[in-house]
Amino acid sequence: MKQELVHVLAGNSFAVSDAEGDMRPDPQAPVGLFSFDTRFLSHWVLTVDGSPLDALSRDDLEYFETRFVLVPGTASHYVDATVSVIRHRSIDDSFNERITVLNHSARPAEYTVRMEVGNDFADTSEIAGPRPRPVTVTRNPSQLRLRYARERFSRETVVTATEPAEVDDAGLTFRINVPPNGSWTTDLHVQMVLRGEGSRDIRAHLETHQQQVRADMRQQLQDWRDRVPQLSAARRTVRETYQTCLSDLAALRYTPLSYPEAVPVGGLPWAMTLYGRDAIVTCLETLPFTPELAPATLRMLALTQGGQLDDAHDEEPGKIICETRYGESAAFGDEPTSFYFGAADTTPLFVVLLDEYELWSGDADLVRQLRHPARMALDWIDAYGDLCGDGYLRYQRRNTRRGVINQCWKNSPDAIRDRHGHAPAFPRATCELQGYAYDAKVRGARMAREFWNDPAYADRLEHEAAALKERFNRDFWLPERGYYALALEPDGTPVDALASNIGHLLWSGIVEEDRAVSVAGHLMDDRMFSGWGVRTYADGQLPYNPVAPHLGAVWPADNALIAAGLRRYGFDWEAARIVDAMFALAERLDGPVPEVVAGYPRQVTKYPVQLPSAGRPQSWSSGALLMLLATGLGLRPCGENLLVDPVLPEGFGQLDVLDIPGRWGYSDAHARDRGPRGEGHRRRLRG
Amino acid sequence: MAASAAEHLANRVDGRHPELPETTAGTLRLDIRADGHTDHWYLTIHDQDVDVSRSSAEADLVVAADRAVFDRLAAGRAHIGSALLRNDVYARGDLRLLMSLRRLFPGPPDARHPRTCGLIGEAAR
Repeated sequence: MKQELVHVLAGNSFAVSDAEGDMRPDPQAPVGLFSFDTRFLSHWVLTVDGSPLDALSRDDLEYFETRFVLVPGTASHYVDATVSVIRHRSIDDSFNERITVLNHSARPAEYTVRMEVGNDFADTSEIAGPRPRPVTVTRNPSQLRLRYARERFSRETVVTATEPAEVDDAGLTFRINVPPNGSWTTDLHVQMVLRGEGSRDIRAHLETHQQQVRADMRQQLQDWRDRVPQLSAARRTVRETYQTCLSDLAALRYTPLSYPEAVPVGGLPWAMTLYGRDAIVTCLETLPFTPELAPATLRMLALTQGGQLDDAHDEEPGKIICETRYGESAAFGDEPTSFYFGAADTTPLFVVLLDEYELWSGDADLVRQLRHPARMALDWIDAYGDLCGDGYLRYQRRNTRRGVINQCWKNSPDAIRDRHGHAPAFPRATCELQGYAYDAKVRGARMAREFWNDPAYADRLEHEAAALKERFNRDFWLPERGYYALALEPDGTPVDALASNIGHLLWSGIVEEDRAVSVAGHLMDDRMFSGWGVRTYADGQLPYNPVAPHLGAVWPADNALIAAGLRRYGFDWEAARIVDAMFALAERLDGPVPEVVAGYPRQVTKYPVQLPSAGRPQSWSSGALLMLLATGLGLRPCGENLLVDPVLPEGFGQLDVLDIPGRWGYSDAHARDRGPRGEGHRRRLRG
Repeated sequence: MAASAAEHLANRVDGRHPELPETTAGTLRLDIRADGHTDHWYLTIHDQDVDVSRSSAEADLVVAADRAVFDRLAAGRAHIGSALLRNDVYARGDLRLLMSLRRLFPGPPDARHPRTCGLIGEAAR
């Protein structure tokens, strides 16, 4: 079995090591110390008297802090039982490791403690095979500096020790004498420098980044916990899941170079940067709990909104960003990721989030301030997103070398297939994109009427939304199947596949009322619902594969939107089944909620099967459980009040959430599951 | 022949820019370095209007680079964000204003509208 990896993280900085705290490059995983998409340590190995160390215990104190207790030797063979070592590491804008050596014998002892240090300065996009880079090493008695430069681009790792050391090009050696039953300690401080002008760190010149430096992580986390609603639940695991998700969301906030407030990154290990889609969905999921993420995300996305036509970056005016990175590959255009726009859903979802945030917060000023970017986003849908001129939002990459093939949330290259495995032609109009576009127009109309003083524009958007809904229900509906096509080909041919995308249609409100029963029925039958959640793609179709992320596996973020959609159309008990399944999944997997689990039937595996490629923690997975909680509680802004209309799964018992922030100030939600018999008057699929 | 950065600033940046949000306001100084001296261009952005003048006064954001880099930006051959990451461009101050420059300098001259691209099509895979 693959060895367990241990991480500490803070924003877009993170360190991944083995269970002993050591780091060695691994082509399969980003092991090492990373920040701003660059590896700053690829080799970080501690020995005592030349012997490796073995972990006796580990304490993951907070997301940014871990303590390892170690002894020399291997699990089967302890070299010396009279000495033990504690590695206590933490990460903020730098990486810190306190090494304590304990002599348990009654005599003074001499040890040689060595930290091997090396770095390849790999970019996060090339972990599988980093290219060799010339690294310059300089040193003085307490410090080792590793530096890499390409033209004017430069990154530097500076390792400093508080105790005297012998420093060579490959590490630091401490020859120490420890008194009987005594200890010795040194602090190793690893600075990650992004070199700017005059050999100072780029960030030192940026106002947007100055208040960030050396933040008190512990205090920040405490403040975050103090701000969120307090939850009490009869079911202990619901409380634990709630706390875990909130900690993970705190961990995954980072402050971009160009903006002074924290926004969510995608998640560990591959998506430790701003992804437009993940950030928007996370904000939508967490509005009742951590609304502070939304205004920062909206402003940051508005700031980086597309301004030009640019094929390499798949950019068009008004488009909302897909991904932004700071590493060498992005800087030199080896990857288009400095500002990459290959996403067709982020732009309408930006409008949806702005409106939804106002409904919860009452922050009308933000809607007025972001009128221009919101208008550009709405204009983008028709001016650039409608690639065939038939009124549907489509995608096709212009960067055919490095661009993303499927520019929707199901973004793996083979994600969009019909039930027989046929790949539709480009440009592709997946169904959920039409739902997002419809919702954006409906919400844009509300904002135009209420805040932008533009009733004529509001009328136009409402008219366009109604026409889109009618057109969509005509062209995408497969009457013989009873569900909507996954996509349309350029010539209008429907792509027949039963996929979770139809759940998003409920969430967006584009489904005709009389078709919702059939859609909900498909989502909840055994081909789609695994017992842990709704699969991305239904069993019984040729491309179905329970371990393929977008062709059969189960995503919490997907399920959160589907459950909200089910409730929107009155399928309260079906939504509650998903809430129940997802909380069961979260409580069986210790720690953060993964982005995806396999689609095997629950009655077969009894346990959610994890996929090795699945990231955790992930912002939109942690947010998903919060949204599912809100869906179960039936939280909804209604005018100036918070509406609470709970339908909780059986077994939840009493659930209370206190101090839910919003335009009402603070409000409480009290709920109780209604026991095994449920309630008669609610809409149900089966009696 | 593409315009130099100086020509671009004088002829195409000075004036009204409906593509800028009406809420964007601030001052930018571009320090264009060549042959041992620096040309200072001063941009005042207010209410979708950009006023271009020559001044070395302090600004909310100062952006400095060699003339060759600015010329590439003015020709749409470089992206201001990538140039910053490469350290081809140095920035000091309020980086939020940097993205306004993305709107004020052109995109790549060979860029296509996605609709024209869609007609050509990429084979399904």
